Amino acid sequence: MLITENITKTFGGIKAVDDCSIKVAQGLITGLIGPNGSGKTTLFNMVTGLYKPDAGKISLKGNQIQGLKPSKIYHQGIGRTFQITRLFWKMTVLENMIVPVRQIGWQTLLSRGVKKHEEEQAMELLHWVGLSQYRDEEVRKLSFGQQKLIEFVAVLMSDPDLILLDEPAGGVNPVMIEKMMEMVDDLNSKGKTFLLVEHNMRLVMELCQHIIVLDHGQKIAEGVPSEVQNNPLVLEAYLGSTQNANASA
Amino acid sequence: MTIPSFHLFVQTLILGGLVGGVYALMASGLTLIFGVMRVINVAHGAFLILGAYITYELFQYFKIDPIASILITMPVFFGAGWLIQRYMLSRIANPEQTSVLVTFALALVLEGILGFIFQTTARMVTPSYTSDAFIFATYRFPVTRLIGFGTALLIILLLYLILQYTNLGRAIRATTQDPRAAQLMGINTSMISAFTFALGLSTAAAGGSLLSIIYSFNPSSQADWIARTLSIIVLGGMGSIPGALIAALTLGVMEQMTSIVVTLYWSPIVFYFFLFFTLIIRPQGLLGEIIREKG
Repeated sequence: MLITENITKTFGGIKAVDDCSIKVAQGLITGLIGPNGSGKTTLFNMVTGLYKPDAGKISLKGNQIQGLKPSKIYHQGIGRTFQITRLFWKMTVLENMIVPVRQIGWQTLLSRGVKKHEEEQAMELLHWVGLSQYRDEEVRKLSFGQQKLIEFVAVLMSDPDLILLDEPAGGVNPVMIEKMMEMVDDLNSKGKTFLLVEHNMRLVMELCQHIIVLDHGQKIAEGVPSEVQNNPLVLEAYLGSTQNANASA
Repeated sequence: MTIPSFHLFVQTLILGGLVGGVYALMASGLTLIFGVMRVINVAHGAFLILGAYITYELFQYFKIDPIASILITMPVFFGAGWLIQRYMLSRIANPEQTSVLVTFALALVLEGILGFIFQTTARMVTPSYTSDAFIFATYRFPVTRLIGFGTALLIILLLYLILQYTNLGRAIRATTQDPRAAQLMGINTSMISAFTFALGLSTAAAGGSLLSIIYSFNPSSQADWIARTLSIIVLGGMGSIPGALIAALTLGVMEQMTSIVVTLYWSPIVFYFFLFFTLIIRPQGLLGEIIREKG
């Protein structure tokens, strides 16, 4: 589904992502983990077009997408949520749901803001997450957890093939996390592919079928959860080298 | 300094309010452009004057009514705005910082060209109803100002409907609130910027036509008008259209009031004092929001 080949991104001499090649297989929930600053979000930003990679290739369903505008990449089928939600907080919940489905062109400039079938689709998704009663509320009036759910279902409006979730559980209460995990699982069983960055290890280990570990911008390990959990390189990246620990002791 | 009688006071409110509506139209385009693109279009005043001159010429040579000529100038300015954003402003790096220079240059070039063609004689468009006025309960309502106010309100209403209920409008609002998120939600923000600039300039076209029947103008009056419209959007809060409306009405009334109570020459100064004091208390303007750059 998504393949990055040797992509690199440098910020002022620091390689945030260094010669990184990963594969996200169709139909799987892939987890992207690593310590803070290991390049996870930078990788996300390159895949979604916010940053241009300095080198390397990114392809989606066989088409090269590196260097395309974010809006183009979006319409090729990648949807994304954010660590801290980026909903349009002065718009209503319903409007936020509709934003992602439209392309803007000369012909459709003055067409109606909300069409019947879009509204129905949006309401169905809002029902699903139990927030349909807030359709006409401005987003800023909702709780952070509710906003996360809305961002999540707004992404589904345009039916993307690949969904990137940036810390879906960050700052969300445990009940909501359960709910979100169920939904991801459910969508995955219907064929959606996910790539998620998450610090909640229990969630990653339970939910993901494949895990990729980054450290200092490079891929240091990958595999099924049990393999990754016991990989010494991964433990070292997270906990520091055991040799150093011995030396200092 | 003279204390006006009650009658004069109300009359002044009326005149100031009517012209304030026209100011509101002129400023709405400027604030809309800033909201979406973080670009201050310093050439806005020059485009107002250009609009006024086109209206003048259409009236002189084709006897087209200044209000009717809006139907011609608005689409033309819309197209021009689209091209300027597409082929000029979108090509500069860091538009937030450097666009002021580019649009200032545009203002000077326009002023120069207008000066070359029309010289510095002050002009005004004078249709047959120029000096007519309605009298209502002993208060005077000059026809040109009534027309100006009504037309301005109509166009602002149209702008509001576009922003609130259309595809383009929603994309513009989304881009104003968070351009990056808008991109990631599939909105082609450079396209939206072009349409926003086009919309903004077309309001300048209408504003120019209205200006031409209420005020006399020459090419260098553009500096006056950009100062006025900029102060309005700063007072109202950069990017806020309702804020611009309130500030425009305030400016209209204050100018008129000062010219009655003190003298005509003081009228701009009083408004600027008001602006300074407002900014000391509310740096973001009346209805503006403090802008934080998101990463």
